[in-house]
This record gives sequence, C-alpha cells and structure tokens, in this order.
Amino acid sequence: MKIIIVGAGEVGFHFAEWLAQEKKEVVVIDINPEALRRVSDHLDVQVLHGSGSNPRVLDESGLKNADIILAVTDSDEVNLTACIFANVIAPAIQKIALIRNPDYTNYREALTRDILNIGLVINPEMEVVNSILRIMSAPEVEEVNDFVGGRIKMLGKILPPESPLNGLKLSQLPEKIERSRMTIAALVRDEALIIPKGKDTLRAGDFVYFVCKTQDIEEILRLFGKRTTPLKNILVVGGGNIGFPLVKELESRRLNVKLIEKDPQRCQTLSAKLNRTIVLQGFATDQKFLEQENIGYMDMVIAVTWDEEMNILSCLLAKRLGAKKTIARVNKVHYIPLVQAIGIDHIVSPRLSAINTLFPYLRRGKVISTVTIRGKAAEVLEAEALATSAIVGKPIRDLQFPKEALFLCIFRGAEVIIPSGNSVIEPEDRVLILSTGAVIPLVEQALMAKR
Amino acid sequence: MIRWPFILHILGSLIICIGLCMLLPIAFSVYYWDGSALPLLYSAAITVSVGLLLYLVFRSRRAKGAISHREGMAITTAGWVAVCIFGGLPFYFSGVLPHLVDCIFETTSGFTTTGASVIRNVEIVAPGILFWRSLTHWLGGLGIVVLGLAILPFLGVGGMQLYKAEVPGPVVDKLKPRLKDTAMILWKVYVIFTVAETILLLLGGMNLLDALCHTFGTLATGGFSTKNASIGYYHSGYIDTVVTIFMLIGGINFALHFQLFRGKPLAMWRDPEFRFFMGFWLLLTLIIAVNCFGKTYDSFGKALQYASFTVASITTTTGFATGNFELWPPLSLCLLLLCMVVGGSVGSTGGSVKCMRVMIVIKHGYRELIRLIHPRAVVRLKLGNQAVPPEVFDGISGFIFLYLGLAAISMFLVAAVGVDLVTTFSAVLACIGNVGPGLGEVGPMDNYAGLPTFAKWVLTLDMLLGRLEIYTVIILLVPRFYKK
Repeated sequence: MKIIIVGAGEVGFHFAEWLAQEKKEVVVIDINPEALRRVSDHLDVQVLHGSGSNPRVLDESGLKNADIILAVTDSDEVNLTACIFANVIAPAIQKIALIRNPDYTNYREALTRDILNIGLVINPEMEVVNSILRIMSAPEVEEVNDFVGGRIKMLGKILPPESPLNGLKLSQLPEKIERSRMTIAALVRDEALIIPKGKDTLRAGDFVYFVCKTQDIEEILRLFGKRTTPLKNILVVGGGNIGFPLVKELESRRLNVKLIEKDPQRCQTLSAKLNRTIVLQGFATDQKFLEQENIGYMDMVIAVTWDEEMNILSCLLAKRLGAKKTIARVNKVHYIPLVQAIGIDHIVSPRLSAINTLFPYLRRGKVISTVTIRGKAAEVLEAEALATSAIVGKPIRDLQFPKEALFLCIFRGAEVIIPSGNSVIEPEDRVLILSTGAVIPLVEQALMAKR
Repeated sequence: MIRWPFILHILGSLIICIGLCMLLPIAFSVYYWDGSALPLLYSAAITVSVGLLLYLVFRSRRAKGAISHREGMAITTAGWVAVCIFGGLPFYFSGVLPHLVDCIFETTSGFTTTGASVIRNVEIVAPGILFWRSLTHWLGGLGIVVLGLAILPFLGVGGMQLYKAEVPGPVVDKLKPRLKDTAMILWKVYVIFTVAETILLLLGGMNLLDALCHTFGTLATGGFSTKNASIGYYHSGYIDTVVTIFMLIGGINFALHFQLFRGKPLAMWRDPEFRFFMGFWLLLTLIIAVNCFGKTYDSFGKALQYASFTVASITTTTGFATGNFELWPPLSLCLLLLCMVVGGSVGSTGGSVKCMRVMIVIKHGYRELIRLIHPRAVVRLKLGNQAVPPEVFDGISGFIFLYLGLAAISMFLVAAVGVDLVTTFSAVLACIGNVGPGLGEVGPMDNYAGLPTFAKWVLTLDMLLGRLEIYTVIILLVPRFYKK
C-alpha cells in the first residue's frame, strides 16, 4: 500500500510515523526542508521537497501508483488544492484532507461527494471536541467509544469494590443482567489485557471494557455501584479552536460554563460570540483566581490550551482545590500513561483523534471504524460483512477465526444481536470485533472477500 | 471645509419639493370649497419661488464631488429649519393661526411628528389646511432628507452623510448597496402601510379626509387628529384596534418590515429590539390595566382596551388619545412618563431615546454587576448575537447625557415663564420625545395654545432637536465646526 502525505507538520509526522510502523510505503511532501529533515532522520519514509499544491510535485511523488493521499498541511486551502490535483492526476485515489476552518464544515457534503470526491475530511479539533462530549455523556466512566453512529457504546470502567459485580464469574453475569444487553469485551488486570472466558471472575480494580446499547447505559452503570450526579458546572481552560466550539456546544446544553482564557484580545472576541458563558481573563494556574471562581464546585474542569504542561498543571491544581473530574489535552503521546498515573481523569489528543478517524481507511475489508484500547494492545473494529467474506454463513463456533478475537455485536438493520456460538453472520450485517494487536492481520484476512 | 453655496443649492431643491407638496391639499380645498385653496396656492408659490431662487443662484457654483460629513449635518439641520418655516405659511395665510410663533410651532410639531397642537378647535379649520397639517407628519415621518434621497438624483453621491445625519439611531444600516435604493425601499414600505391603513379606516366608517389624516398621524407616529377628542371621537373598538396595530408598526424598525415583505418574518422575531419593544408594550399595558381596573374603568376588558391603545400611542410617540388618561391613578401616569422617555425602535418613525439605547444602557448596568461578582470576567455588551462596539456605547451614553441635559435646561426655561410644574415637566418630555400630549395644561384633552410665547419657542426648538437626535443640530453651535 502506497500513501502520499502532504505536509510534514505535527499531524503529518505522526501519521507518517504510524504508517511506517505498519510497514506501508510512505512519501512525505513538504515545502519546509527543516520539517522534511526531521521526518527523514527519524522515519523510514521517502521525502520530497516542494509545495503539496503544486501538480508537478504531486505527479513526481508517484501519485499515479499510490492508494491514498493524505493532505494534512496547516492550510486548508493547500489541502484542498492538493486534493483537486490528485483528482485530476489519479482520479481513483483515496483522498483524505485535513480541514480545520468550521466554515468549510457546512459544505462537507459538497467536498466529499460532488466536487472533489474527498473520501474523508478530518478536523482534528472537532474530533477532540467530540471525544470530550463523549466523555461528558458518561462522566464517571473512564473510556467511551461510539459505534453504529452512536447507537452502541463501548465503555471502559474500573470496577469499584462496592459493585454487585465484584467476585462474579462471567458465566453468572446473566443473573444480574440479560445476556442480550451487555457483553464484557475485555479486562485489564495488572496492566495485562485479558479476553475473558466464562470461567473468569470479575475483581475489584479490574478495568472492564463492555459493550451495550446507548439507552441501557444508566441501568448498567448502576451495576458498577453508586451513580454520580449529572454535570452542571463546567470550567473550560483555553478558548482556542477546541475550547470555543466546545463551549458553544455546552452552552446550547444549558450547562453553567466558565471559560478561562489568558489573551485579553481573544477574551473580547469570545465574549462577543458567546451568550451565557462567563469569559474570564487570567491564568488557570493562579490559585487565588481559581478559588475566587469557586473551582471546588466544578463538576468538570477541561483544559484544552495549546500548552500541554499548562493543561496538566491546571487540571492537577483544580483537582486539589476540589474539582470532581478533569480532562486535559495532551499532544505528546508518550505523556499519556504518565498523566493518567498522576490522577487526571481523561486525556484528549488531537493527533490521536485524527489518527483514530483515519484508522478504518487503512484497514482492509469494509471496515467502518476502529478504536484502539490500551495503547495498541487491542483494537475494536466495526466492519461490514461482505457476502463473499469467510465469516458469513456459518455458526460462529465453526469459523476459522483466531481465538484472541471476539465478536462483540452483530447489527442487522435496526436489530442489535449479542452473538453466541450458534449465531450466524449474514451478508451486509455489521459486526463489532475485538482483536488483540497480534492477530489483526488474520482478522483482516477473514473480513476480506475470498478469492 | 463647508461649501455654503453648495449647501444652499441643495437646500433650494428641498424647499422646492416641500412647495410642490403644498399643492396636494388643494384637491380637498376644492372638493369641500372651504376657501383654503388660495392660501395654499400662495404658500406654494412663495415656497417654490424661494427654492428656485436658491437653486438657480447657487447652481453655477455647484461643486462637484461628495457631500462631506459636516456638510451633511449642515444641510439636514438647515433643511429642517427651512421646511418648518415655509410649511407654516398656509396656516398664516388662511388665518388659522395669526401669530408667527404658533405657525412655526404647529409646523415643527407636524414635521417632527410630535403632534402637539396650538389650534384650540380643529373641527372648524378648513379641510385643506387640516390635510396639509397631517401631510407634514407623513413627510416628516421617514424624513425629508430620505425623501430627497429617493427622488433627487444628484444627492446619491455622499448621501450617506445626509442619511446618517437624519435617520435616528446609534447604528445606521443600508438595506441595499445603493443608498437611493434604500431610501426608495423605505418609502415603498411606508406607502404600502399607508394605503393599507387608509382602506381599513375607510371600512371603519371614516370619510377619506379623516382616514388619510389619521393614517398619516399613525404611521408617522405623529398624532394630529381632525377631531378635538382625537380617536376617542369615534367610540369604535374597531378603529382603536386598527390604529393601535398601525402605531406599533410605525414604532418598529422599517428594515424589519422590509425583511417581512421579502418573506423573512423570522428576522423580525429574532431582532432583540423588536422583542424588547413588544415586551415593554405588553408589560406596561398589563400593569396599567390592572392599576386602572376598578378605579377609572369598571370592566377589565375596557381597562385593557384603553391601556393598550394609550401605551402604544405614548411609547411609539404618536400621541393619539381615546380617553382622558389624566384621570388615571398616579402609578399609571408615572408609567406613561416612562413610555415617553423610552420611545420607539431605531429606524422607525417613532422618536425619543429609543428602545435600542435603553436596552444597551440596561445591559451595561447588568454587565457592571457581573463584573462585581466575577472581577476577572470579560463581558462584551451584546444585542442578540451582535457585540456592541465600545464607540457605539460611548455615542449612546453621550446622547443620553445630552438628552437629559437638554430636558433639564428646557424645563428651567419653561418654568421660568410661570408654567406649572407638572405641565413643564411633561411638556418638555413630550416635545423632546416627539410625543405630543403631556399632562396638566397640555394633557390629551387640552393643547399647547395657552402656553406663553417664550415657552412655545423653547418647545419648538426641543421638538427639532429631539427629531434630529440632538447631535446633528447641536454640532452647528460648536465653533470648531466652521473651521477649515
């Protein structure tokens, strides 16, 4: 698989790094030789100096033989132009563009279909906003992922000692809740990922991944012990291109929102565009200031400035002053395990969000979305079962399917089925599969059409 | 630099326009054969001649190029003064008002859409003259300069300066890229409403003269009536309702009416000033109806009917009356004084301080409270989703200061010639706000005829200053204005 990346900035570099690890053939184009040197010094990819909006450069990069072009420069216009010429030079290529300006978002349909035939438009900031909103939809849960357009959720939660599930064998689970309503996908115990079997026991402190319908969340969370009150008071730190759309959305949900921004000029703009939110000018690391604004009564503090160290510090300070939950935006992937260890509840990262959106495009077979859990220890894929695929037409127990992979869910039209060994997957079903990283290629193979 | 010949040249053309308008009432003079045809003809002849003289004498020196900011204000103010003087000629020649001060007071009251009258018994005045009197309302309602912009081709260049000087409100917006088209649209909307109300009033049993005069008085938010008892003469719930609705229409920003005609009714609903205006009207109607119920009126329905009409009449600064509201309890009278100060919307024919300014000042007060609670908060003044730039707020606070200052000085001057306190207070507010009737000696069932001459001059000036939103006139008194 050959992939052209236009732009060697933050996002481009990260994509290149990750794709190179996946053993793809990658060409990176950038106008800045410094950025290119960083890429060629660290990664096993080809680099090409020139503007990504220049058709001659694109042609030179071998666009005609490539499968995917990723236009991920900082400029929306360059990305769009690159896609226009890609369309001309190699009409069949899969085009993915990074588009940040929200004004373009209204024309997403036009971009993806009519004019440019762009396969995927990624807006990393909006992806972060969406993941924050997802976290807020179940604030007491450590991880939330959406599937089938939000109808199914996979949640990750630490099992508290007071939970009725504590000490329960998995085979006894149907006594607490019907089998068709909840599936336990994976457990993380002592940093190790376990694909659970019926004889495994749930223990307090386990990090439990489970899949359920969105409307059942309330009931299932009750099985995990006492519920917390719904979110009401929110403090957002940083009014940039994540903070602003986030606050705008929270405002429309009638939450009490305060927004801290350090730049007075930006505060003026924010205040003009927001209605109910209180815009405060200052630093979120100023303890007196936070106390003055009753930080102790905040149900959630969300720090999304450009400065990740600042985000981490303000979250820690807020937590110490009594804020209930914290979310920090962190860019460096290496920080993520560290930050969770020191007690910040959730991490969001534009890069990871952008990559997660891109993921399914690089998986073979008709994969619709994927989510990684525990770094890259395992992956959950949402895929469409092709009529010619190996998984169709036989009971699941008879399939040639790796043991480290698990069918979590089958969606047939509006119906959601939690499968047992006897279930049969039909063509055009959507399936949700959990797989450990090691067996991903085997799963991919099973999903693809038989020769 | 101000090019005086150029200003006089433009002034000439405006005067010609007004002179030609004087010919319209002659149709009624002839129909009723009331003897007012000749006085009107004389007045028109004099006015047009003076206008032509100015126009022609200064034509050769007519400078090319746009009208400057200062020239715009000079033309507007001079135009209004000239129109108020020449417009008084028919009253003088017909013998209705023998004194100079009364003629000018009545005309100024007409053009500024105040509706304060010094004619003691209007029912004996010749129909032609009455029609002219109401026509001044209609012409002044949207503004004589806006009229000029719509029909005089050469005002197009730099006309924005004129438009800004005359159209009330802190922010002026164009509806169309070309100013001439904007002025045309405003007049079209105005004419459509005029035709509609005239037909509705004819259906209510008025004759054409009364229907037209009352329509002019309503839409221009003027208030001149052809009856001594104003709208109360008709004792008709239907007419009260029609007039109430059209007074409110006159008090709403005409840009919103334009949006409505273009099929965007939501624009009106989303406009914060419209909501404030209608909310204010509803709230005060309710309070006054409750306050009057059982005291002045014995049925709540009746209290509601009188309250809704009167609140609309005073808030939009029209000044029609259906009853003697001076008999209302003190709370209601106080609230009516509040209505006089609040006034209509920006871009409407209504006068006074205007809802938008009141809203912005209230919001500013609220903003200061928020700042006390959250010392680090950055709060922008907003109207709807639009932030109000600080310079607009400065303009507004300056305006309100001047408005109150002018009111205070006028009150001292009127009181100095021996007018009683309630009359002084309400007459000054009613004239600056272009409302019309006040309380006491100038109440809805009395008129301004009995005031001393000096007080009339002061109030005439107040009406003009109020209509042109003070700045445009007062700037002419600043010496620096004339420096090059």
